[in-house]
Order: sequence, then structure tokens, then C-alpha cells
Amino acid sequence: MHEVAPVPDDSELARRIVAAGTHHDATAEAELCRRFAPRIRLYGLRHLRSDAAAADLVQDVLLMTLQKLRAGAVRELDKLASFILGTCRQTVIDGRRSGGRRERLLDTFSPSFDIASEDSDTALDSGRLESCLQHLPERERSVLVMTFYDDRPADEVGTALGLTPGNVRVIRHRGIERLRRCVEEQTS
Amino acid sequence: MSAFTCSSNADLAAYWLGELDATDAADIETHVFGCDHCSGRLQNLVRLGAGIRQATVAGALHAVLSPDFVRRMQDDGLRVREYRLQPGTSVACTIAPDDDLVVSHLQAALADVERLDLVFEDPDAGTQLRMQDLAFDRAADGVVLASNTRYLRQLDTATRRVRLLAVQEGGDRELGTYTFNHSRYGA
Repeated sequence: MHEVAPVPDDSELARRIVAAGTHHDATAEAELCRRFAPRIRLYGLRHLRSDAAAADLVQDVLLMTLQKLRAGAVRELDKLASFILGTCRQTVIDGRRSGGRRERLLDTFSPSFDIASEDSDTALDSGRLESCLQHLPERERSVLVMTFYDDRPADEVGTALGLTPGNVRVIRHRGIERLRRCVEEQTS
Repeated sequence: MSAFTCSSNADLAAYWLGELDATDAADIETHVFGCDHCSGRLQNLVRLGAGIRQATVAGALHAVLSPDFVRRMQDDGLRVREYRLQPGTSVACTIAPDDDLVVSHLQAALADVERLDLVFEDPDAGTQLRMQDLAFDRAADGVVLASNTRYLRQLDTATRRVRLLAVQEGGDRELGTYTFNHSRYGA
């Protein structure tokens, strides 16, 4: 019987990358990219509201993180997630985009990015989702459509539909949970 | 709000939609970024939202919307075919190959309505579908109904009727009947 290797935690991954230095621990770097790429992408979508800009952010932040780790320039290896989040925030604030620099870095780090660039945000079965949407109560469908078409907050949706923001949040929450259950039931 | 506490689904939605103040949003963001479980749940929410958006753009559902929402979709470049009907009137209608959405503005006096239902009738088949408890703005002069474009595209020549009903003690009160005489585009 094979023993399953324990999954390294964030700090262990960071230590392996630092220890390898210029020799590169490709496995650890790939795991770091696999683990954090979806989170960086979510951060980018939340703050930049653009798929393309979020994809750029994923590359920029992972490049900087690996570069700093390889150079031994990350001080608190036990707080890797905080370091990467801080890098996300600073990158968005700076809005820095240097094409030439990115190309050079991408050449250096390309093996890790083969994994990070995989689409981890697997799309739902559209037919199943549409069927579930059609079976929602009318209010829930109206609120979910008007919310998620372009990510509008409860007060805006409420104004348009004659509902209070609190009422919209309740309807929205019920709708999301009902839709999630429906999609999961049909999947299983 | 503790940075070490997993967020509820409702809080994750509020964070995603920008409803929280800066401190609460930063707390949730910090926690989610370091938490596999919560980042996975947020990703599922975002995926669900993207699916809803795609279904909306594809015209793959019927729903009551608002006039402002329809305008936003038009501003985004979607081709929206619109019909405007007073109570008791009919319209000749269709769907063109390049239409993304078809919406009907059903005029009605809603000021004193507590609950609004919509009944969709197929007079030929003698069937009806009742959409219960619509979201509507009493200050508006009617409701906007988006039709499922896949359903419309497979219709040949057909008549469909929509009735708006105020649901109240003592029975339903009809606010209007709207008749759609549909034909295939170009026919």
C-alpha cells in the first residue's frame, strides 16, 4: 500500500524554494503557483473587474513572489499568504505593467507558469445552470440576474425592483443557496 | 470581525459585491486569501455568478427585470428587441437572428398592488404558466418581462397571452391582458 505524501504547507513550500535558490525547486514552485493563482485571480477580479487584468495580475504577482523567494528576500516565510496578498495590493495600487520586464521574467519562470495558467475556474454546465435558474422563484431569479450580470450591490438592485437592500440580501442569499443545491444535485 | 474566522456565504457575497466597509472588506479578504476552504467557496460563488451572467446574455431564461437594467445591457452592446403594450392591446412580434434578447414593457397601474403574479397563456394548447410573486416597483408604470429567446426561436406563427394579476384578499384583480401575435422573422 502506497503512503500518500503529506501536502506541504505554505511555509514549507516557501522554505524549499528559498533553499533551492538558483537551482530551482520546480515542484515546490509549481505547487505554490497552483495554490495561489486562483486566489490572486479572485483578488484581481474583485478589484479590477476584468478577466484580462486579473490574468495579468496573476502573472505579475507570482513572478515577483518567486523572484523574491529565490533571492531569499522574503523575511517572514511563515506568512507567505500575507506576503502574496500584500504584493497583490501593491501591484494594483502601482498599476505597474512593464511588458519587457514581464517577458524576461516569464522566460525564467515558464515551467511554473505552465501549471499556474491552467484554467482553475472550470465553468459550470450551462444547460444545467439554466434549468436550475428557470426553476427558481421569480423574485430570486430577478435579483440574481440583476445582481450578477455586472456585480451590482443590494442597494442598486433594490432601487430598481422596489425592494429594500436588506430584502435583496435575503432573497439573494436564498437564491444562491437554492441554485447551488440544484446544480450540485443534478451533478451528482 | 475576526481575521481568523471563516466567513459566511452571505458575507462572501457582500464582500464580492462591494457592500462592506473598508475594514470589514479587508478582514474578509485577508482571511480568504490565506484559507483554502473560503477561497474555494468564494471561487464557487464567482463561478455561479459568471454562469448567471452567461445565461442572461444568452437570453436563456425568462425573468422580470427593470427598465434601467435593460438599458445597461443595451449600453453593453446587446441587441434588445423591445415591445411596449398597454393593457388590453396586442402586438405583432418576432425575434430576429441577431437579437440577443426580447423584452416586453407591460404597462400597468401598480401603485396599490401588494403582490403581483403573471400568467402566461397558450390559447391554442389551453395551457398556462403562472409566475408568482414578481419583484416589481410600485412607483413604476409597469413591469419588464424578458422572454427566453430559445423558446421564441422555435415558435412558428403563434398567439400567446400574458395577464398581470394583483393578488389580494377576496381574489385576483386583473391589471391587464397583453396579446403577442408571434411570427417567424421575415415570414
